[in-house]
Amino acid sequence: MRQTLLYVITFCFPLLLLGQTEGNETAMKEVVVTATGTSHTLKDVPVQTEVISRKMLDNFGGKSIEEILGSLTASFAFNEGDMGSQMQLNGLGNSYILVMVDGKRLHGDVGGENDLSLIDPRNIEKIEIVKGASSALYGSDAIAGVINIITKKHNEGLLVENSTTLGSYGDVRQHNGLAVSYGKLSSYTNFHLQRTDGWQNTSKEHTSTFETPITDSRSMTVNPKTNWKLAERLTWQIFPGIELYGEGSYHQRGIFRPQGKYAKYDVTYYDMRYQNASAAVGGKWTMGKNLLTLDIDWNKHAYFHEFTSIATTEGIDKNGNFVLEYPYFPGQRVLQSDQQRFTAHLKGVFHLPYHHLLSAGMEYRYDWLKAPTSIEGREANDNTEALYAQDEWQTRLGKSVQWHVNGGLRLIRNQQFGWHLSPKVSSMLSLGDFRLRATWSQGFKTPTLKEQRYRYVREMTQIILFLGNRSLKPQKSNYFSLGAEYTIAGLTLSVTGYYNRLDDMIALVTIPRSEAPSQYIQQYGETLNKVRQYKNMERAKTYGVDATARYVLREWTFGAGYSYLDTQAEVYNETTHSLDKVVIDGMAHHKGNVYVTWNHRFGRGYTLGAGVYGRMSSKRFYQINGDGKGYQIWRLSTTHDLGTTGKFFWRLEAGIDNIFNYVDRTDHGLHLGTTTPGTTVYGTLTIRFRHGKNLKNNYKFNLKNNDNEED
Amino acid sequence: MTMKKIKFFMLAAMTLLAGTSFTSCSGDNTDDNEEKYQDIVLQTVKSQKVNNQAILLVAFGSTWPEAFNDFDETVEAYKKEFPGYDVYISFSSAICRNRAAAGEHEEDLGAEKRNYYAPERWLNAFGKVEYADITVQSLQVIPGEEYGRVVNALKDFANNGYNDLRNDYLKNVKIHLGTPLMATGKDDPDDGETDVTKLADELHTIYGDKANEGAMLFMGHGNPDEFDTYSANVRYTQLETALQKKNVNYFVGTVDMMENFKTNVKERMQAAGYTSGKVFCAPLMSIAGDHANNDMAGDDDKWELNDDGEYEETSWKVYFSDPLGGSYDCSGETMIVKGLLSYPAIRQLWINHTHAAQEEDLDWFHSNDGTE
Repeated sequence: MRQTLLYVITFCFPLLLLGQTEGNETAMKEVVVTATGTSHTLKDVPVQTEVISRKMLDNFGGKSIEEILGSLTASFAFNEGDMGSQMQLNGLGNSYILVMVDGKRLHGDVGGENDLSLIDPRNIEKIEIVKGASSALYGSDAIAGVINIITKKHNEGLLVENSTTLGSYGDVRQHNGLAVSYGKLSSYTNFHLQRTDGWQNTSKEHTSTFETPITDSRSMTVNPKTNWKLAERLTWQIFPGIELYGEGSYHQRGIFRPQGKYAKYDVTYYDMRYQNASAAVGGKWTMGKNLLTLDIDWNKHAYFHEFTSIATTEGIDKNGNFVLEYPYFPGQRVLQSDQQRFTAHLKGVFHLPYHHLLSAGMEYRYDWLKAPTSIEGREANDNTEALYAQDEWQTRLGKSVQWHVNGGLRLIRNQQFGWHLSPKVSSMLSLGDFRLRATWSQGFKTPTLKEQRYRYVREMTQIILFLGNRSLKPQKSNYFSLGAEYTIAGLTLSVTGYYNRLDDMIALVTIPRSEAPSQYIQQYGETLNKVRQYKNMERAKTYGVDATARYVLREWTFGAGYSYLDTQAEVYNETTHSLDKVVIDGMAHHKGNVYVTWNHRFGRGYTLGAGVYGRMSSKRFYQINGDGKGYQIWRLSTTHDLGTTGKFFWRLEAGIDNIFNYVDRTDHGLHLGTTTPGTTVYGTLTIRFRHGKNLKNNYKFNLKNNDNEED
Repeated sequence: MTMKKIKFFMLAAMTLLAGTSFTSCSGDNTDDNEEKYQDIVLQTVKSQKVNNQAILLVAFGSTWPEAFNDFDETVEAYKKEFPGYDVYISFSSAICRNRAAAGEHEEDLGAEKRNYYAPERWLNAFGKVEYADITVQSLQVIPGEEYGRVVNALKDFANNGYNDLRNDYLKNVKIHLGTPLMATGKDDPDDGETDVTKLADELHTIYGDKANEGAMLFMGHGNPDEFDTYSANVRYTQLETALQKKNVNYFVGTVDMMENFKTNVKERMQAAGYTSGKVFCAPLMSIAGDHANNDMAGDDDKWELNDDGEYEETSWKVYFSDPLGGSYDCSGETMIVKGLLSYPAIRQLWINHTHAAQEEDLDWFHSNDGTE
């Protein structure tokens, strides 16, 4: 109750102070690019965009993307586990969320979950979130929304920085950056490392009533894991207006699972390993206000099982035959899937007469999947070509009344699914301090190679055969939203209502055992408990209201977000041959976040930043294995800019997360509302060495705030 | 440039990029694993071989803690009963083997290793160390499909399936096959003693009190129709007849046998006038695992009739306590989640089958080199 009161007071506080403020609209002048692919200030962007700014990131000191998105917005939910972050945006999972880094889609998934550890949280300039379908601009996946992570750009003569965070549960986060500019050439090398010992919120297993209760399980809530990534980017300002770049990265990740003694519960026979690599070249050509960009990139995401004990499972024998029981030994690393992607993307932005801004582009994408033991045919590929165009037009209808219309269309041709058109229309009416926005967009998502070709057995407590489906149809969605935003002085309020309807939704459904391939029936016989196959069986809709408030008063910033959500999915029931109405797993009706930050400069040598952050969620609903409890978690972050010594800049950060030590100790095997281990502390030391002047960069396509260092 | 050329260029670039990246991405070389694995089983047998005669128990396997205890006790009972024999146990299910081998038991110094290799692997190793006498004992309840696998494993051994045993040895080795718990049965229990009547006697000794207090239901597994190669399902019906001779309150149903689901059990109960009162349920399976805990005593309550007329996703406990299932007095209190192997008297029936099997030598050897 006391915490609820605190929430209400914090939320209302900005409103009480209204009228006492001096104008501060810095936030609304933030330039965003994700919604339209062109640069707009936040105030002028026709599609509602949520921004997590550099300043917010700096104050918050988040250790991961999951923590940042989960705390600084109200629309995301996470449930970190072995199979990924289980990210949800307004009720839809990761496979419906397009995650981009600098406008390029993040590559690789395990079970539809992106590996967010590929992103260095200390190298983020800002995060833009555009909810709803954006397939017209970005193609497949962008059905629930788009997250665009914009990395820091460096134009220093020489910059060396190290930022090391130590925290509870053996948490180590390290960010290292080396930026060198020489003449027209600049290089940025980034190495980041993340590790945790993991934690166990309960040693109790959810067991059958008739079993001896298990209270000494070793199953962890979050398993120990380590990942690191090395990335390099070279840019060459070849001529005024023309910039070329080349970049590459290599990433490794391991998830380790302690072994217990209860075969059914805390015993596994392999750990998970991931390897990710990328290489890209491209260029940008600015011609006055117009722009052409070309990006060609290759990505690889490989997933391995590293056996921890002797086990027999699907494999390829030495004669090259696929067998269902092939033995493996501890330490052996066996490829599960290798996803590779090649894309080429040419895009132009042209200012046309009569206030038209045209964006047009073409994209080629080639996907290749190798999964020797888990897909039919062992290898598969797919390619898609796309042409798209978007026109933005704005006109003044009266004094301080502006109308902005934006229409986009994407034509794709997929090797398997042929031609498809995805439209998007959005409009904004600015009435002085009010802005009204409306969007209708269609989402389009072709079945992934895995959804089409999967063929593997997983041995959980039951033996389940998972099958892809070669006759899947693409998923389509219709997204409608209507929003109002009000900005006056330092206050911004926004409310957006949305309705997202998915047709031909792809989901795993249980099918009769007799439909399994004969090889599996012969091997497993009637011990094969279930056969699950991807099918276009379901429809789903999500609808809700998102509201945000932000108020800036001199050194103070107050912010709050609230998200109401309801979902309804229709699952095909193979037994009754009818559609059952169910909630989408993980849905919570109410989610919120709230924060207050204060930054004060005590002379030249010291600047203090302090922030209190709250995130809360009502009960999360699931179809089986119980609902996740509602939670409320508070965090205190402090930052201490210690000024510069010569060319060195020093900064300390320290904080406490989950101050009130909330832990969900629901038995292992049931759903948790949140996987937090309880109160944790962290400390970060950042040292930055800088030498030389900033380069004057002619190219500022998205007007990113380059002189972003406050030192 | 045509699209084909563009594609070619892109693929070439991709190959180049892929080629310059790390090479370890395809995983480790595992070509020799098969031989290495069989050798581990062989070394295990070598290290455990004391006698010249071996007994191999074959269970489907389980991952449930209580089931492990039952298997352990069964192995101990066999060792006591057959002092001149080395006793091994195997799981035919890979999942159960993998989980059992992976637990902390392997790490703990001095603790037992739970290596339940597949029956084929054990038999091959037995052949390599040339046990003179090998008995394979099925721990199945009915001679159904799973038992068929046990038979095949022994036949493969006898016929030198891996092609690496000496034919001279195979010609001379004595092999025996112990049959499942209800290998024999007759429709009329008065036609003479069979496995079914013996089991009925023991079950009545154990569950007689319950049958006096209410309906006593047994849940067997059963073979789905298409797999009932050996017409094994009939044993459940025969057992019910035999038990009802002792007390009309006994009923035997299954998870998978057509026309003998819990819905059919209820019909029989009601036809017999049993329309109210207590309903006890116990698994008719060697151990209490998934089926006993979930299908019988679990909380699944999806009331959907499948095409075979069964509420597949409704547990026996929920079914019989609900008006749709008869509104009996059926709850967690009346669930008896214990496997048959946990009762020494029933375990003894399997042991008796082993003794019987050792009376008979099987002549299954056919040389695969054309000499015989």
